[in-house]
Amino acid sequence: MSLEQFKNRNVGIHTYKTLDVGTPPNTGMEKFTQVVTRAVKGELFVGLWVVMREMINTLVKGDVHTVKYPFEKMPISPRYRAIHDMLRLLESGNYRCIGCGLCEKICISNCISMDTRYDEEQRKEVSEYTINFGRCIFCGYCAEVCPELAIVHGPRYENASEQRAGYSLFEDMLTPIDKLNLQQEYDGFGAVSPNADENITQTPLAY
Amino acid sequence: METTLAQHIVTDLPQVTALGIIIKAIIILAVISAIAGFGTYIERKVLAFMQRRLGPMHVGPFGLLQIAADGIKLFTKEDIIPQNANKFIFMIAPIITAATAFIALSSVPVFPDFTIPEFIPLLGGVFVPSIASDLNIGILFVLGMMAAGLYGPLLAGMSQANKWGIIGAARTAVQFLSYEVVTGLSILAPIMLVGSLSFVDFNNYQQEGVLSWMIWQQPVAFVLFLIAGFAETNRTPFDLLEHEAEVVSGYATEYSGMRWGMFFIGEYANMITISIIASIVFLGGYDSASMFGWLTIMLKIAFFFFLMLWVRAAWPHVRPDQLMWLCWKVLMPLALVNILITAIVMMV
Amino acid sequence: MSEVQTVDNMISITIDGTEFKAKEGEFILNAARANDVFIPAICYLTRCSPTLACRICLVEADGKQVYACNAKVKEGMAITVDTPNILEERRAIMEVYDVNHPLQCGVCDKSGECELQNYTLELGVDSQSYMIPDGKRETTDWSSVLHYDSGLCIVCERCTTVCKDMIGDAAITTVKRGGAELDKGYKETMPKDAYSMWNKLQKSIIAPSNGTNFTNCSDCGECIAVCPVGALASVDFVYTSNAWDLKRVPAVAAHSSDGAQIYYEVKPTSIEDRTEKIYRITNEWSYVSLDGSARFAYDFQNTTATKDEEAFKNAINAFKKADTIRFNSMITNEEAFMLQTLKEKMGIKLYNPEVKAFQTFLHHYEAASGNSLWTTDTDAIMKKSDFVISIGAALRNDSPAMKYAFNNVQKLNKGAGFYFHPVGDTLIPTFGKNVQVFNHKVGLEEAALYLVLDLFADKDKLSSEVKDYIESFKNTETKTIKEKKIVTVREMVLNEESGEEEEVSKKVTEMVDKEISVTSNGLVSLLGGDASKFDDVFAKMMKKKEHFSMMLGEDLYYHDKAENIAKLVALVEATCNIDVVMTPPKSNALGVALLCELDDAQSGYTIGYNENGDFRLSALGTGDIDIPAMNQQEGTLTSIAKRVLPTNAAVEYNGYELNDFMKELVDAPALTIDWTVMLPTDKGFKSLEFDTLPNSFSNDGKDNRGYRLETCHVEAQLPEVAECDQSAVLEGEIAYRCNPARQFNDFTDKSHEIFETFSLYASVEKAESLGDKVEVVFENGSITLDVVADAKILGDIVKVPDFKSAQGVYDLFAGSRYQTVTLRKV
Repeated sequence: MSLEQFKNRNVGIHTYKTLDVGTPPNTGMEKFTQVVTRAVKGELFVGLWVVMREMINTLVKGDVHTVKYPFEKMPISPRYRAIHDMLRLLESGNYRCIGCGLCEKICISNCISMDTRYDEEQRKEVSEYTINFGRCIFCGYCAEVCPELAIVHGPRYENASEQRAGYSLFEDMLTPIDKLNLQQEYDGFGAVSPNADENITQTPLAY
Repeated sequence: METTLAQHIVTDLPQVTALGIIIKAIIILAVISAIAGFGTYIERKVLAFMQRRLGPMHVGPFGLLQIAADGIKLFTKEDIIPQNANKFIFMIAPIITAATAFIALSSVPVFPDFTIPEFIPLLGGVFVPSIASDLNIGILFVLGMMAAGLYGPLLAGMSQANKWGIIGAARTAVQFLSYEVVTGLSILAPIMLVGSLSFVDFNNYQQEGVLSWMIWQQPVAFVLFLIAGFAETNRTPFDLLEHEAEVVSGYATEYSGMRWGMFFIGEYANMITISIIASIVFLGGYDSASMFGWLTIMLKIAFFFFLMLWVRAAWPHVRPDQLMWLCWKVLMPLALVNILITAIVMMV
Repeated sequence: MSEVQTVDNMISITIDGTEFKAKEGEFILNAARANDVFIPAICYLTRCSPTLACRICLVEADGKQVYACNAKVKEGMAITVDTPNILEERRAIMEVYDVNHPLQCGVCDKSGECELQNYTLELGVDSQSYMIPDGKRETTDWSSVLHYDSGLCIVCERCTTVCKDMIGDAAITTVKRGGAELDKGYKETMPKDAYSMWNKLQKSIIAPSNGTNFTNCSDCGECIAVCPVGALASVDFVYTSNAWDLKRVPAVAAHSSDGAQIYYEVKPTSIEDRTEKIYRITNEWSYVSLDGSARFAYDFQNTTATKDEEAFKNAINAFKKADTIRFNSMITNEEAFMLQTLKEKMGIKLYNPEVKAFQTFLHHYEAASGNSLWTTDTDAIMKKSDFVISIGAALRNDSPAMKYAFNNVQKLNKGAGFYFHPVGDTLIPTFGKNVQVFNHKVGLEEAALYLVLDLFADKDKLSSEVKDYIESFKNTETKTIKEKKIVTVREMVLNEESGEEEEVSKKVTEMVDKEISVTSNGLVSLLGGDASKFDDVFAKMMKKKEHFSMMLGEDLYYHDKAENIAKLVALVEATCNIDVVMTPPKSNALGVALLCELDDAQSGYTIGYNENGDFRLSALGTGDIDIPAMNQQEGTLTSIAKRVLPTNAAVEYNGYELNDFMKELVDAPALTIDWTVMLPTDKGFKSLEFDTLPNSFSNDGKDNRGYRLETCHVEAQLPEVAECDQSAVLEGEIAYRCNPARQFNDFTDKSHEIFETFSLYASVEKAESLGDKVEVVFENGSITLDVVADAKILGDIVKVPDFKSAQGVYDLFAGSRYQTVTLRKV
């Protein structure tokens, strides 16, 4: 699915069609006439035919719309904002998260928190990271603000829990290291915009 | 031939009328209850197919045991009686609905008289009349019983100390009483033609093939009766008594468990009753002469039952005021005119 | 006296068409800042000398481009902040700063409060025109608290400037780093200032000035505070929190008597533990400088406190049977006043060895001078004074604010200074060329004051006895000195070109003997100075000096002749043009001195409030019942600047506080801060609610925090002073009660970023002779201590710290700061 159609936010009244419903009957005679006309015109039978046709389709062609949900799942749009995933760098397997804390800051329901520290390699390391899914409203700001595309909304949308506040820790969201090859690059919410290259002014490098 | 007491009873069964009637009553009760339950399954399935869904699928093959599951649920569910309800009336109201529905069924014939074949042990050779009790005022009795069924929802709604219930009860009174008139008037014309109130006479009146069916002589009466029947059984498009979008659950708001279930057994039993009446009065009933008379009437009944589901899938329901308008300003005058014309034709 | 800003010397200037008032002789940048006008500037620090490193404060003044940080305002000057040319320069400079500056703002500790980020945004730098290869730049730890990431450093030199001009340690400096040479083509193409700034930036980096990889400084961390980027951070803070996550709690530094403004910056400890923890201390570094204890001694809170009802009952019983409450100056005004209330209502004695001597000294001073308190403060000294005299204060250890003021006067006001102290110090003479250090013998502080009288007093005002006494030290002798004399000599020289002899006159210097009469000052030699050279040195020091100040330290309060010293101080004030400031010994000593009537000694059943006692109330969590530490309570503290300053609770406290006992014992309001309004107005306090006290600085650096104590002056007769008692001079092995620079009390010791140990501090040579461990034997006891060599100490006097109250050092010294002791090797 391309993102272009989602980026068009020019939804206005020009896309609506006005329906001519005529004038409602006023006098008793008019009402009576309306009833008779409608009864005789067979509109009622059109309705009956439509549902009968659907029933025949269902039974004969097996044209059923029901998704047997727990056994059968529909593919989900990349823009859908489900439970977060923390991604790794594909080459090294290191965390993409650099612990900048922007997600923590931008989170409007204040449900992200992280602990960082100075590690042995003189780098900033995320020692603990958690999202309180009891509070998270899945607005997607964290994914949008993340400069490293480290936190994204993944496809896992089944998040019913026995408790109101479900916490998720870093390890729960992180791509398992042995499944690194299955890690999907994310083209949905918060992804690099299609015209990102045009927006960047080049920085001269001396080497 | 050794005669035991059992054999004696069995051979003399038709003669022992009271016992035969009791057995038939039990059979009717059991079968109709089962059909009513099965009707809910059929209804859900048919509605699902008409909306391109699957309907119940998980309990048993194709969801067939869903009825059992629902039954277990209804029987085991807590029977809640609201604090401020009139307890006695609240408790008996569903029984009135169910009872009247079944009592009505006692005087409708469902299939031709027959003799149980000889090869069946014990019961072989027993003559079985088509009807539990062939009253000479059959139609009047059935319509009367169905009218009495009005007390179920009415008392239920009034006793439960709930405004939705009150509204539901009010609607019950208005709707049932009004349409009682149309039912009676619409069926009066056929009665005039047949000259009897017995269903058996109606059946026999239409035994010369399809063309002899009452529907050809009385199409207007048929349509009126059907419409009134929908209203009497509280079916879409006239399901105003407990329309969820308007009055939560109407007279059934406070009911739970099997008490609630009894309203629905009653409703489905009524649906079957109406289907049977329509089949016998307008569509020729069973063919007493034919081997498959019972099958034809079964098909006719099934068609009317299906029609009710079909209509529910296709049509929206009407407003209460439209309902009344339709009854008193359209249907009742039409029924009167129909009687008048029938009478004139008969006199001429 | 301290109000520098007067209407007289105000001139008017115009900035971008709006007229403003400015002080004459002020830098344009400071004038603009005082008037809330924004001129971009990175490298300039308000109270330090301009470094001209960043050059973005370029403005146009009367048509000429000048740097706002070092051009002074003139009457009627018209200043334009932005001209197209200047904007071009500024943008180029910001682009240059962004060249090779790492773009990992995400991991930088400074992100969100970074001036490089701010100015890059402010000046709209969205593309880069310059480039240069970058070399590897290392991250190092300069000390146990200073972490330097040279990759992030923009060499604005704020750290070196503040260290030199304010702190006085001059522990860091710019060094060559051998970066790549700039492309010569840039010289023509890029703006001039940006090019020269870049040229310098490319060549230099910051490093410890002692040539090693580690600084040898007081670890005050002021360099961290002023760093505009993330290059300098505290070792413990690195990568632990983003600036915006921290909640600022305005407070007062609790340990020294400076009353420095600080913010406790708190946020939850971790994901598991949501109780708030102090992550760091920040300050308004433009207006206040912190010492190491204020910046790093912050996690001394009482964490384990609970409402232990059993202990509470015991405490109430203890109060009911108590004879004495022993406490120290780590207490708010409110709680000190509560203790005084207990004294008044229950007759409990109050004993405070830290404050008693100070209080007595203040009473003597008030009686002699008529001033209820001293007349100036350290801020005023920095703003105005050009000559400072320090007597009886171990500047480096006792009062950071006085040390900074002493240093700042030398650096910024082209000042001079006298430093009278028995313990030699290597750092003080480095503050300035005109600093004269007198390492006098212990007990000669009176002589120092007589010397001040001699040098500065209006002799007409002095009584004849004093005049005669001073004159008695002068002795005139005749000396023969050699003097240079220029003599013109004529001689005949053969001109080689013409072959003729010519007479040529030549000027030749000859040394001629001359007899002169020299007056040598006996006071100078008594104080350990070189009397023969003193007159010349003093004459040089006095050049262009107008404002004189004197700082008095704790030694004087504990002096045997404290009363006479107080009179001498009063006499100095009355007869010389000298303002005086005294340092209260520790945190809230002044508040305690004003609020409590202290008794001379403890007796009977004693309650120890953060001190030893039969029943101990302790904020350290080690006593019989818990009380809140200073970062867990609201209240006011009284500072050296005579201000009553509000401080707030940074971390939670779950136990009982003194007010809870007060409620049981006597009538008390609901909250501790309800006492603020009740503080006695006859002692100078104001009847103000705690919540109405302001807590901010004005843009021109004016301190608006809390309120200034009302002081009064009554005319007093010139005090009768006694002669200098030279018999009190101590000889032999001497111990000096003095803490290492960042230690003040048990609470600084508890803080994990303070590493100075409870040991005997001695000069390097002395430490060598003493070995690793010594027993210090006093008259009334002894204490065994490890020996630590402090390269900044000179001489034989050893320093014994007192910051652990449990060690009872005050009792060992028995009401004095110096004691003759026996040092035994262990």
